[in-house]
Amino acid sequence: MEMINRYIYAVTQKLPQSQREDIAIELRGLIEDMLEERGGQGNRKENDVEEVLLELGSPRTLADKYRGTKKYLIGPELFDSYILVVKIVLIVMSSLIGVGFIVQTILDPVSILDHFIDMIVSLVTTLPTAFGWTTFWFAIGELCGGTKQKDLTGKEWKPADLPPIPDEKRQIKRSESIVGIIIYTIIIVFLAFSNEYFGIWVFQDQFNGVVPFLNEQTYGSYLLFILLIFGAGIIKECLKLVAGKWTYRLAAYTTIVNAISMAAILFMISGPDFWNPDFMNQLAEAGVVTAGSESFETVTAIWNQSTFWILILFIIGLAWDAADGFIKARKK
Amino acid sequence: MADANEHLDKIMQELRRGTITIGALSQLSEPQYGYSLVTMLSDKGIHVEPGTLYPLLRRLEKQGLLESKWDTNESRPRKYYLLSKTGKEVFDLLVTEWKTIASSLDQIIENKEGEKHGDD
Repeated sequence: MEMINRYIYAVTQKLPQSQREDIAIELRGLIEDMLEERGGQGNRKENDVEEVLLELGSPRTLADKYRGTKKYLIGPELFDSYILVVKIVLIVMSSLIGVGFIVQTILDPVSILDHFIDMIVSLVTTLPTAFGWTTFWFAIGELCGGTKQKDLTGKEWKPADLPPIPDEKRQIKRSESIVGIIIYTIIIVFLAFSNEYFGIWVFQDQFNGVVPFLNEQTYGSYLLFILLIFGAGIIKECLKLVAGKWTYRLAAYTTIVNAISMAAILFMISGPDFWNPDFMNQLAEAGVVTAGSESFETVTAIWNQSTFWILILFIIGLAWDAADGFIKARKK
Repeated sequence: MADANEHLDKIMQELRRGTITIGALSQLSEPQYGYSLVTMLSDKGIHVEPGTLYPLLRRLEKQGLLESKWDTNESRPRKYYLLSKTGKEVFDLLVTEWKTIASSLDQIIENKEGEKHGDD
């Protein structure tokens, strides 16, 4: 008898509170009917109980049948985008760790084994964490809106709603956007955590240090702008990834994002103390050029002009990027 | 052959799922409780696991095709199910549909066998 109670408890436990009592009574009746049909007594009866419960199947399967719906963390509606995001996140994280390993090895080739172990440790700890967090946010999405999505797009479907097959010329390759996201992320991480390595690398027999491009005293206050500029780049790539093909709307979004980046760059570069004020002196100290020589003059000229030219390059690049979107969107 | 049996099991499971509904509805113009329905159906050659039938009866009740009543006068309380008005209509429609499907399939299968014999 105790086994029957345990079985009924195991089944009803997995069911909504409101149905538990009703199903428990019904289930007990069923088991007793089935036992009665077998008609065993004494020891025989205990075997019968086991047989009957086996026939009914595991409590989980039976409860599933009563519930009628499958339980899942991320439903079929979200699953495709989930898999895509997981792939991107894992690829971006692995490339970051890989690039980190390469950079460290260039800087300090002797302890390559340590760097390698560091890389493996980072991979083992970071990738599952990234996977877990992505899954977590999608599960939250499923909980809040996963089922509502159907209601949102639940209008009567018409064949006219079918999206046109995208033109090859207008199509955006996924790999392109993913590579873009990886590059932007690497730049952000590099500039945020090791900006002192952003400069001229001095090698004399071995790695001898860096003459930084940026002014380390004021750098902290500019970091926000750098995040804004490259973060905008990541947002742009994500938009392209979601859209999948060039449209006027996407091109317009791209232009807006580019305009924001451009404003941030203008503000940052033209501001005082952005660049390393002692760059030329440090370069001479490091022995790359000799002070007073002809090449020193040339490099000084380039260094002084660089702000202007970098600005021009950025503006041309961003303007071209926006124009390119419109051109591709117009292609028929 | 083991492979074929595996496939057969899966397909039969899908095939049975719908027919069990028809079978259950067919017996419920008189009130029945779950286990009596299992025995009735199995006497008529339709084998249903109680673990499948009980949840099905509940679902049909929730959909409004069945009505239910607890009978507490007997030695143990039993839940009796009976076709509702909608249930009756649905059952009649289902029977017509079933007959169409059965005869169409019959025809297809017979023709196929005819062709085979023709080839021999």
